[in-house]
Amino acid sequence: MIYTRRQFMQTSAFWSAGSFIPSFLTRAAFAAAANKPKSDRILVVLQLSGGNDGLNTVVPYADDEYGRNRTTLRLRSAQVHKIDSYLGFHPELKTLWEQFQEGHVSVIHGVGYPKSNRDHAGALRDWHTARPHDENCQTGWIGRTADSMAGTDNSNIPCVLTGNNSQPLALNAERMIIPLIRSINQLKFQYEWESEVSPNNQKSKNPLLDFMKRQKFAAQEKSQRIASISRSKNSNAKYPPFQLAATLRIIAQLIQADVGIRIYYAVLGGDGFGGFDNHANQRDNHAALLRQLSDSVSAFINDLKKERLLDRVLLITVSEFGRTLKENGRHGTGHGAAAPMLVAGGDCHGLFGRHPSLTDLDNGALKYHIDFRNVFATLLDQWLCIDSKDILGAKYKQLSFLPG
Amino acid sequence: MNNETAPVDPQWAWAPYSPSSERPWDLKWAGHLYRRAAFGASWDQLQKALKEGPDQTLAWLLDPNGNRSEFETAFDEYESSAAYSSSTEGLRAWWLRRMLQTPNPLQEKMTLFWHNHFAVNQAKVKSGRLTLQRLRLTRKYAQGNYAKLLEEIVHHPSTLIALNAEKNRKTLPNEHFSRMIMENYCLGPDLCSEEDIRDVARAFTGWFLIRNELRFLEREHDDADKRILGEEGNFNSADVVKLVLRHKAAAWLIVKKLYRNFISEIDNPADSLLEPLVNQFREHYDIKQLVRVMLKSNLFFSDAAYRKCVKCPASFALEIAKGFEANISTTCLGRDLAALGQDLFHPSTIKGWPSGRHWINSATLAGRCNLVHALVTGAGSYENQLSPSSLFSKYNCKTKTEASQLILNIFLQNDLEPSVQKQIFQQNPNLDAQSWLKHYIINVLSLPEFQLA
Amino acid sequence: MVRKFQVGIRIVMFALFVCQNAGSDSLPKASQWIPQDAVITFEMSKPADLFHLLLGPRIEKAVTTAPEYQALANEQGFKELQGVIRYLETTLSTDWKTAVKTLLGKGGTFSLLPENKILLTTDSEDSKLLSQLHEILYGFAKNEAENQGNYDRVKSKEYKGVTGYTFGQDEAHCIIDNRFMFTNKSNVLKQIIDNRSNSELKSLSTLENYQCAQSTINPEASLKGFLRLDILNQFTGINKVLTKNLNPLAALLLAGLPDSLSVSNWLSAGLHVGEEHLSLLANIDGKLDTSDPLSFIGSNGCAGGVLPIIQVPNQIASFSFYRDLYQFYSAKDDLFPERTSGLIFFENMMGIFFTGRDLTEEVWKEVKPEIRFVVSEQRYDPSIGAPAVQLPSFAVIFKLFNPEKFGLIAEEAWQKAIGLVNFTRGQEALPGLLIDRPVYKDIKMTSTYFSSMEEDDKSKLETRFNFRPTLARIEDNLILSSTDQLAEDIIDSVLVGTVAPLEKIPGTHSLVQINADRLASILTSNRETIVRNDMIEKGKTKEQAEAGQEILHRILSYLNQATLQVGMEDNIAQAALKLSLNLPAVE
Repeated sequence: MIYTRRQFMQTSAFWSAGSFIPSFLTRAAFAAAANKPKSDRILVVLQLSGGNDGLNTVVPYADDEYGRNRTTLRLRSAQVHKIDSYLGFHPELKTLWEQFQEGHVSVIHGVGYPKSNRDHAGALRDWHTARPHDENCQTGWIGRTADSMAGTDNSNIPCVLTGNNSQPLALNAERMIIPLIRSINQLKFQYEWESEVSPNNQKSKNPLLDFMKRQKFAAQEKSQRIASISRSKNSNAKYPPFQLAATLRIIAQLIQADVGIRIYYAVLGGDGFGGFDNHANQRDNHAALLRQLSDSVSAFINDLKKERLLDRVLLITVSEFGRTLKENGRHGTGHGAAAPMLVAGGDCHGLFGRHPSLTDLDNGALKYHIDFRNVFATLLDQWLCIDSKDILGAKYKQLSFLPG
Repeated sequence: MNNETAPVDPQWAWAPYSPSSERPWDLKWAGHLYRRAAFGASWDQLQKALKEGPDQTLAWLLDPNGNRSEFETAFDEYESSAAYSSSTEGLRAWWLRRMLQTPNPLQEKMTLFWHNHFAVNQAKVKSGRLTLQRLRLTRKYAQGNYAKLLEEIVHHPSTLIALNAEKNRKTLPNEHFSRMIMENYCLGPDLCSEEDIRDVARAFTGWFLIRNELRFLEREHDDADKRILGEEGNFNSADVVKLVLRHKAAAWLIVKKLYRNFISEIDNPADSLLEPLVNQFREHYDIKQLVRVMLKSNLFFSDAAYRKCVKCPASFALEIAKGFEANISTTCLGRDLAALGQDLFHPSTIKGWPSGRHWINSATLAGRCNLVHALVTGAGSYENQLSPSSLFSKYNCKTKTEASQLILNIFLQNDLEPSVQKQIFQQNPNLDAQSWLKHYIINVLSLPEFQLA
Repeated sequence: MVRKFQVGIRIVMFALFVCQNAGSDSLPKASQWIPQDAVITFEMSKPADLFHLLLGPRIEKAVTTAPEYQALANEQGFKELQGVIRYLETTLSTDWKTAVKTLLGKGGTFSLLPENKILLTTDSEDSKLLSQLHEILYGFAKNEAENQGNYDRVKSKEYKGVTGYTFGQDEAHCIIDNRFMFTNKSNVLKQIIDNRSNSELKSLSTLENYQCAQSTINPEASLKGFLRLDILNQFTGINKVLTKNLNPLAALLLAGLPDSLSVSNWLSAGLHVGEEHLSLLANIDGKLDTSDPLSFIGSNGCAGGVLPIIQVPNQIASFSFYRDLYQFYSAKDDLFPERTSGLIFFENMMGIFFTGRDLTEEVWKEVKPEIRFVVSEQRYDPSIGAPAVQLPSFAVIFKLFNPEKFGLIAEEAWQKAIGLVNFTRGQEALPGLLIDRPVYKDIKMTSTYFSSMEEDDKSKLETRFNFRPTLARIEDNLILSSTDQLAEDIIDSVLVGTVAPLEKIPGTHSLVQINADRLASILTSNRETIVRNDMIEKGKTKEQAEAGQEILHRILSYLNQATLQVGMEDNIAQAALKLSLNLPAVE
């Protein structure tokens, strides 16, 4: 099975090199190869570091309380991209708003968790481990997912971090080595020599050597697929010149190369400090970050759509907390609690859940309606088809924000 | 996963190996010994081992003769100078350099073993000084007395910091701490009752870490009676270590782990096979004695052990440098090893690095081969630090055939299927001799066989 | 190493060739023959000055006393080469230095053309010597080729009345009057001969850019350089490399030079050689478009010019800049389209320190564009102790528009910053800074320091003991210094300056001075750290790392001071580098 697919891939590499076969044929062939059962679905988790201001992302522009509390940061009805008579997207989220209208973006309102932490390190740890308030937890929810997927003879890497950040706790695993992919070349052999014999036909006296041969063969096979993708794909997909876009582009290439990675993790806003943590002069900084988010994710959606892969992919945004309703004296906002999550994919529609009240506050911040662990459980069970109970430590109620 | 291996006679297995005509001492076994008991060998060392036989080679590895104090003093000083900051990048580089150059490689290999067994993450400890202390502690007892090692480790500030146990109050015994050390450092999982866990935590009350210094506050110690591992008494933390060492599982945990480290990662050995070692180890907890028995044994020099472990990234890379008799940039190597899953001082959890097959996946294999490529072509920070041509001129290789044979001898002890040998040899026929050899070396070091220890 | 040296010598030997037609001195300039697509061209117009220094006794002493030279001199290859030189010296009855001076006496050029073609021309003072040397070498080469059974390798051929020779492969050379010309591709030689016979053809000297560039070089320069950036930018994409991924702060520091280079057609340079110094003056013609966010540097940057640099004791380096931070920060949306977490963190912090003041309008606008930096070696107080790694102290000196008002605001911000540092360090159980308010020459400073009271080994303190962050204001100068000592030195320097008012240096936006002896001294203080770092960074042995340091020290010991001055005049960016030398004395 592996061998024949390998042959197919080699031939397709030849096509794109020779380029006398129309590219739509190649694409169709890839799409056919990609037409896989649910176990091949992919999740992209995008962390907005520093605590994103949910109120100025999905804006309750028509709420008087909003206008009253945001004296300088307020976005007015004429500025936002309207969702309905109450809500609208931030002006810089134009491209995401367009995707929203196409049915590729949806919003989950008021996500948070009980007694949420307002300190960056603590709140991030809670989101990463998905075990709030357990300071002793050493593994992350994605790391544990990877461990649960680890087979003894599986050459696939269940999840990776892409981009230039250091590894977040979310990816900490006990058994799996989670690679940090900065460049697609890391999965490509700089120089390789190919054995003419498929290792599947061999059996030596040493099972460990046989294992190693199969692994090498599988790794080389992936390397070639990546090589052929990066050769054929250099020109067509259009991404804006942002770091996040470059990262998402790598993810799109790896998805297309079908190397078996199920979960991707990417970060916008840097490690630890800064980013969305706008205590001062929030307006321009936040707008610039949202523009990167919007244009990069939108380009990613368009790319996958063109490659007919969008139905297999779901992207979510996470952030350690939202921000306070009231702005401070320095044109910024403080650490808050609940905030919306954005979901992007082939079939994502509308708004999910209730927008939190702007008058019933928890110490100046919005209260949550949806525990983020319900979202994670739904993603694991329904999207990735992996039992969430062991990973999250309990069975959480499923939500219905997913397509189909 | 592979339990089909026929039961082995323990008496034969642990009896010392002596060469015979059926089981001769040859290059294959010399290379095997140097892979497991050191970080590989140079061609000179392999030839010397061949000449001197297994007993003397092993005696040298266990107790290197000659004056090492100059080397140790210099490197102790290098390590200290790198421990000023909270980053361990410098310390990591010096440790790798030490592994590469040390006249006592088994000591460093065992230090690495304990570093992984008693795993804590420096990102949590955040102190270069404490990390260096811990490294020195594991090095000091690496082949010494396990009882002392265990006692000092469970009381080391870095262990307390890593397990959030800086303050062990009478009113708040830290059961997370006691569970973690009992299950991971002392006995293994599922051997302690909840009562044991609770009372071990109580025994540790009174220990406080104040500005990274360990202090015992009498008033915070719970000196009421406790019940731990079936015994009752007014135990303190030192007593806990004694109780642990009286428990048979303590020795089992270490013997099993060392078996995986030195003999084989593919099978679960029968209890009857390990029993004699466990009993012996329990007498004095002498680590070196246990290591000596394993490395001298018939089992070690048999197919049950040969190429039955996966090299950890550090061994993989250092064996290459060792074979080329070269110094390489260990700052850079430290980073590259991290990408291959072995970030020294930063194991991801208290369970340490996952060993064996877990080292290998598509990304790490591509990473290993690309590291070989960078080292051999002298790319980036490894600018021409490995010099194949000086290796070939040192050993008088005049032709492609001679040079390629030397590579096979050093790195695979010429144990490679002839068909594969032939295929690699026939690659790139049009390249000039120098580039051909570089590609040949990359091919050999990327072979599945070279990933195995 | 030896091999490279031999190749070098061979090229020089080729340069010492011969000519049949000894004769007139009236050849046109070599630039009239050099093809127009030469990317880089060096012209040696005043050989005597160069030889005076390069072949003089002091350089000779510096070279021959270096251990590397002595090691080289013991190599077999070097001895053979010396034998050949002695043979030539006897045959030509001259010594090699005189021969070199004679053969290059009327100048020479070196050009690099596309596709790695090179062209070398030399004008000899004595065409007879040239022809003699060529005959000898021609004989050697022919003999050797024939001994190897290769009768065709060394040959000559006539083209448009000029005899061209080759010693093998595509190498070609010829002699016209007293000019010797050599190239590694024979078609270049043909081009030259074509240019010679037809002055209508395009040579370097007919290129307009070349003529413009020449006008910017002092005709007295001993060595002139011309670089065709138009070709480089077009074909190598070097401009993209220069401007892409450049951090805006780095771009500001470099005053937009990378951007200017990427739109330049040419770079010209002239080298002057003196007894005790070398000075290099370089120009580029690129002008930043007004749409470039950094264009303000060129448009008004040099109008005022920079202040003279500050001089302090133990000075390693001193910088003086003209940079309008207000305009720079106003353009931040163009300069930082991607908000890095660092920038946002910076803004958050500045918001706290400056109590919510607008960073652009209320902070940067208070600061004049004349900004100076000083880096100096520290003198450690033995009662406090010395750190294991010794870092230089450094300071920035801003000029304020409203010193009385903004001085206090800055001081408040400074104290808040120190407090925050202390608070954060306290959270991590790290020692904090003690705050002091000493008075120095009637100036009250806010000075801070770590106490070393509890440190056991005072000779190897932690790196933090290099820092004693200090703020002081004297008149309109706001000093932010890493140590109180440097702040005091700067106050002394400013007080001297008030006696004779500062005069700006017009047309200059950057001025840098580096003192080699102090640089060497700080390297010596940290020698052990540097050696160790080299061992693990580069995989060197201790001996190799130490030898590397030796070489660096020797090079620094021959250098006294380096001064770099960068500015703008008539839309042409200019850089002047002056090296004052410290060559060994000859008795």
